[in-house]
Amino acid sequence: MSDPLSKAATAAEIARAVSTGKVKATAVVDAALARIKAAEPTVNAFTDIVAERAKKRAAEIDAGRHIGPMSGVPFAVKSLFDIAGLPTRAGSKINADRPAAKRDGALVRKLEAAGAILIGGLNMGEYAYDFTGENAHYGPSRNPHDPTRMTGGSSGGSGAAVAAGEVPLALGSDTNGSIRVPSSLCGLFGLKPTYGRLSRAGSFPFVDAFDHLGPLARSTEDLALSFDAMQGWDPDDSACTDRIAEPTLSTLNDGIGGLRIAIAGDYFARGGEPEAFEAVATVAKALGATKTVVLPQAAAARAAAYVITAMEGGQLHLERLKSRPQDFDGDTRERLMAGNLLPGSWYVKAQRFRRHYRAQVLKLFEEVDIVLAPATPRSAPKLGQTMMTIDGVELAVRANLGVFTQPISFIGLPVVAVPTRKPGAMPIGVQVIAKPFDEAAALRVSAYLEKEGVCVSTPA
Amino acid sequence: MTEKKPDIGKWVDEAALAIGLPIAPEYRANVILNVERSLAIAQPLLAVELDDDLTPAPVFRP
Repeated sequence: MSDPLSKAATAAEIARAVSTGKVKATAVVDAALARIKAAEPTVNAFTDIVAERAKKRAAEIDAGRHIGPMSGVPFAVKSLFDIAGLPTRAGSKINADRPAAKRDGALVRKLEAAGAILIGGLNMGEYAYDFTGENAHYGPSRNPHDPTRMTGGSSGGSGAAVAAGEVPLALGSDTNGSIRVPSSLCGLFGLKPTYGRLSRAGSFPFVDAFDHLGPLARSTEDLALSFDAMQGWDPDDSACTDRIAEPTLSTLNDGIGGLRIAIAGDYFARGGEPEAFEAVATVAKALGATKTVVLPQAAAARAAAYVITAMEGGQLHLERLKSRPQDFDGDTRERLMAGNLLPGSWYVKAQRFRRHYRAQVLKLFEEVDIVLAPATPRSAPKLGQTMMTIDGVELAVRANLGVFTQPISFIGLPVVAVPTRKPGAMPIGVQVIAKPFDEAAALRVSAYLEKEGVCVSTPA
Repeated sequence: MTEKKPDIGKWVDEAALAIGLPIAPEYRANVILNVERSLAIAQPLLAVELDDDLTPAPVFRP
């Protein structure tokens, strides 16, 4: 077990230490603030720090209030989550001019109700239209494992803060891969739950059809702990499920017995660097998975996800593109403008295809419980790198870091991104994909891989 | 016979005019590049044939 005041401490370890009186929540918060002060010049993960609020909350916990399963756990959230008293930046300069949020986002409230303590808001790609973690307004978040490299995005600050050990837990959003990509590039465990599982109320949207919120952490237990605390219907999010909460922590260590695990072939077995497929092979071997399945028409699914994203995202920002084009990040602006100019016929076809693809993939899940696929086509590119060569083809980094994540979030399947790392190399992740609302199965697989030492996340 | 390709520059100019989106000259080339990129990425979707009974995925509940 790690020292609860160290950067290696997990959320669960901190909660156990605080709830048994081994350490004060105020000491945990002070230690986190000191680590943030030391690491920020290198990683640039935070855009807002709420130190006074966090210290006050910690003192209240030490006085016996707000006690729960996450007592004293410091966490931070991507800057698209509302934080009471601050404008919700969403990584933009434009939103910084908006009025301060009146209350915290739904998931922030749920984590704090469980005893966790919000430390601040995190850097991100502007308006979440990003896979790199770079940001023209606030500077790039930098990969703690090699600060000359990208964190991945758009939840770049979330990846950097947890990988640097500033906080044990961060929340991010994932529309096309924005939790799974930084988890892969920063060597973290990340959970993109089923679409509709967690409330998005009090968060700035990007693409309503695909927006998901979820946690990034350095242990599977922390994903399950926070996920269980955040579940539950919320009438303030029209997509939020009214299914009863299905806790995952209690079955986390049940092992992989009874789970039919397969490897995604075809589309998911090409278009990446060898390291991406080696990571999948390593995980598959540890799980004894040998069967290959094909998610039919995954390339069309990726295309459809791209089209819906460009058009929904573009339309959301149209008035700001007209009134304040100069205030956008140049890497976001022209993509959002282009999204407004695509034929409406493409959008409708993409949504019709989505129903077809969902039916095909759900049929596949009658034969398997878990599908493994690469999380990213490569490990972290260099900061500022705009092109990459995959399979001898020159591709844009921004448009292509999410080629393996997009066809999955397109139909809202739950995924745990698990980290692998070879000695001397940068980390790279694998997607553990389950059927809708079976986060518990993906988390069990992740916990097994962690216990076996195949997937381990250590702070830089 | 080669298929006739759209003039993306004209596409961008006319569509932007239609929706009232001014595109400053310094942004135009990159908007064109992004429409070209979208056209390329959309191809696997545009090539799919769908049955008439496939309705769009989102369901509106009044």
